[in-house]
Amino acid sequence: MTAQLPEPPEGHCFHCLQPLPDDGALKVKIAEQEFPVCCYGCQAVAHTIAEHNLLHFYQYRDTSNPLQIPLLPEELTELEAYDDPDLQDEMSYQVEPNSSNTARETTLSVEGITCSACAWLIERELARLNGIEKATVNASTQRLTVRWQPDQVKLSQILQTVAGLGYRALPFQAAQQELDFKQKRRYFTKRIGVAGLATMQVMMLAFGLYFGVYNDIDPEIRGFFWWVSLIFATPVLLYSAQPFYLSALRSIQAQRPNMDVPVSIALLGAYGASAYATIIQQGEVYFESVSMFTFFLLLGRYLELLAKQRAVAAAANLIKLLPALAERELPNGELESVAAHKLQVGDIIQVKAGAKVPADGELLSQVATLDEHILTGESKPLRKTSGQPVYAGSINQQKSLRARVTASTQHTVLASIIRLQDSALASKPKLAQTAENLANKFVSRLLILATLTFIGWSFYDPEQAFWITLSVLVATCPCALALAAPTAVTGAIHKLNKHGILLRNADTLNRIQSIKTVVFDKTGTLTNGTFSLQQTWVDPNAPFAAESLLQLVGKMELTATHPLAQALAPYAKSSASPIPVRNVEEHIGSGMTAEIEVDGTWQAIRLGSLSYICEWHPNFVPASNEFQVFLASQQEVYLALALGDSVRAEMATTVQALKQQNIKLVMLTGDQWAPAQQLADQLQLDQVVAQCSPADKLNYVTKLQQQGAVLMIGDGVNDGPVLAQADIAVTFSEAADLARTAADVVLLQGKGSSLLQFWQIAARARTIMRQNIIWALVYNIIIIPVAVAGFITPYWAALGMSASSLLVLLNSLRLYR
Amino acid sequence: MESLYILIPIAIVFVILAVVIFFWAVRTEQFEDLERKGMDVLLDDDDPKPSAPQPKSKQDSK
Repeated sequence: MTAQLPEPPEGHCFHCLQPLPDDGALKVKIAEQEFPVCCYGCQAVAHTIAEHNLLHFYQYRDTSNPLQIPLLPEELTELEAYDDPDLQDEMSYQVEPNSSNTARETTLSVEGITCSACAWLIERELARLNGIEKATVNASTQRLTVRWQPDQVKLSQILQTVAGLGYRALPFQAAQQELDFKQKRRYFTKRIGVAGLATMQVMMLAFGLYFGVYNDIDPEIRGFFWWVSLIFATPVLLYSAQPFYLSALRSIQAQRPNMDVPVSIALLGAYGASAYATIIQQGEVYFESVSMFTFFLLLGRYLELLAKQRAVAAAANLIKLLPALAERELPNGELESVAAHKLQVGDIIQVKAGAKVPADGELLSQVATLDEHILTGESKPLRKTSGQPVYAGSINQQKSLRARVTASTQHTVLASIIRLQDSALASKPKLAQTAENLANKFVSRLLILATLTFIGWSFYDPEQAFWITLSVLVATCPCALALAAPTAVTGAIHKLNKHGILLRNADTLNRIQSIKTVVFDKTGTLTNGTFSLQQTWVDPNAPFAAESLLQLVGKMELTATHPLAQALAPYAKSSASPIPVRNVEEHIGSGMTAEIEVDGTWQAIRLGSLSYICEWHPNFVPASNEFQVFLASQQEVYLALALGDSVRAEMATTVQALKQQNIKLVMLTGDQWAPAQQLADQLQLDQVVAQCSPADKLNYVTKLQQQGAVLMIGDGVNDGPVLAQADIAVTFSEAADLARTAADVVLLQGKGSSLLQFWQIAARARTIMRQNIIWALVYNIIIIPVAVAGFITPYWAALGMSASSLLVLLNSLRLYR
Repeated sequence: MESLYILIPIAIVFVILAVVIFFWAVRTEQFEDLERKGMDVLLDDDDPKPSAPQPKSKQDSK
């Protein structure tokens, strides 16, 4: 019964749906059909899926949302590190701690899940492993919950199995907030279900009663309908509406009555009056109004909760728990793997090339190149010599280094930055919510008014007093006001998610209007944080084309360990006509040498710094002092290259757009003054402060906040504290974990324009929120005198209330477009 | 109109039944991941028959 597998779009990979490479595609044969794939990774995954009879995946997956992650990330090689017992204790737990059952359970975040078919694929594949007791994937939060027997299967095997399918599963840091989401969601789902089912019945009966008004319904039937309505409305009021009563009580206890106070009073008042009317069989009933109102209000709260949960979960997924392992040297010279937090002062550690330094220490190797941008924001790697300090969190750029530990865990420089952030977060001022304040005032006045109406009418016409007071309460019931803010917030969160922007804190929307200053970090925020070729100079007399020379440089750099080499190596693949080259050699500290064929003879060439080239050409002066890398033969200098950090995509236009709104733009960076000033001039920023420590940044922003609210956008660990201090903190998804925990907003797409999009959507949400509130207030102010005077018949009161709420809802729906 | 006195109580019973089923669905986590459960019908293939070797039926369509 195998159905035809869907063909991929023309020119796209069958598995990952990315465009196929220009130089031809590979083929994969599945179920007697042949499909093009882009790489060996996809080919292997497609084969695995076919072999294990999981082809349903291709049939039912959502192809509108292709995979975006590289198939074989470098962490794959390090998965064994997760089997470390210390690390496992930290991130998983034993299901039954005091029994012989050793099963462990953990939740992993899985990158690359785009639809339910992905979730199914992962579950089925894991179920094939021995020792897996349970594996469930939640496609909307992209989480995998897995329970396994450690003596039969290792965690690294589980991770590898998932990786074998082309997904990336890793342990992550769950947000505290998230833990009670599940419970809350269930709480709301149940109440909404009850309210929905009961409201349907009450509405049905209400329609009968509406027509009965005109057709002279039999009073006996009417009485029966009232009683039935009472039966259905009771669970809605006593069970479904609980969250409102509880919230109202809490707010009264805190002496800050919120929107739920009048909501509760109106609900209980209208219900009580209707129940009274049912018992004495006289008056009017409002069962359908209260049920429907409860249902819609609950639905609004639930949607808000869901949107928030998605944002928080997605943000938490980004914060991966990477194994913090260190290589410790034993007295006999051998290496052992230990958890980083077990390192003692005086231990000797080795750090492999490309790895993070696990603790602060003193360098024992002769020289080392370290990338400290995570701590300082400095974009260029630093060269250190024996005896100089190395810091935890910096990345070893070249060959493996040795160091003596001088401080570990809580005492490192990195930890002190984290502490700075925690204290800034704790002292972040909670801005009072305007809508809430407004509601508070409105609520108290409304209650006073209702009391006055009752007293007034008791003198004038005691029989009518109760009913008129009730219609005042119903007609002015601030449902529209109660719905005004939450619906707009839900709409904004949804819209932001669609643009790849995660809102972790909904308060942010209220603050956006008061922002006076935007503070940028430099490396990794305004710029991409990676080096790329900025400028090229070619000797006009050189015997080769510029492209061929660049390709030559790329080929020579392929094997180099120099930090700039990574930026040049990709040019090796360019399609320029190649220059024959042999004997490529690296001379650490100076440059590369090789031989190339020029007119049939082999000539020595050098690639390296100015001083290295000047050994051959003492009189050579580069056209600009920005050039750092040169290529020369003994006769002439062929090529000069300037490498630099390039400005992030679409950042320039974003900066311009913000400038037009009279926002002050400031750049704070730990980098040197010269590159900072240059970039600031290029982007026309108002102010620039360079060589800042994390504490300097914090102080500077605190000072700025005295003049007005500040939006900070940054990505490094060194930005963590200042992000926590800022009124709105924005970061990119590739940012350091620390920065992400401090951020209110995470931009998932690495484009500068996302910031502008966030700005516009937030401003729009605020406008709509204001419109909603103004409309709700205007409606209530008009209806109050009419109701107080006793002109409102019950059905008009209910109709007016529903219409005003509906208008607010429709207005908020505009945000979804 | 007399029939209403019987039909409506029956309706009440049905609604109570619906609420009970709904609560059961919530308890068994069917509302935890709405994207997922809708697809399970299509995906969960209990048929142990291998799906790959089915040569004849589809050669032509290629």
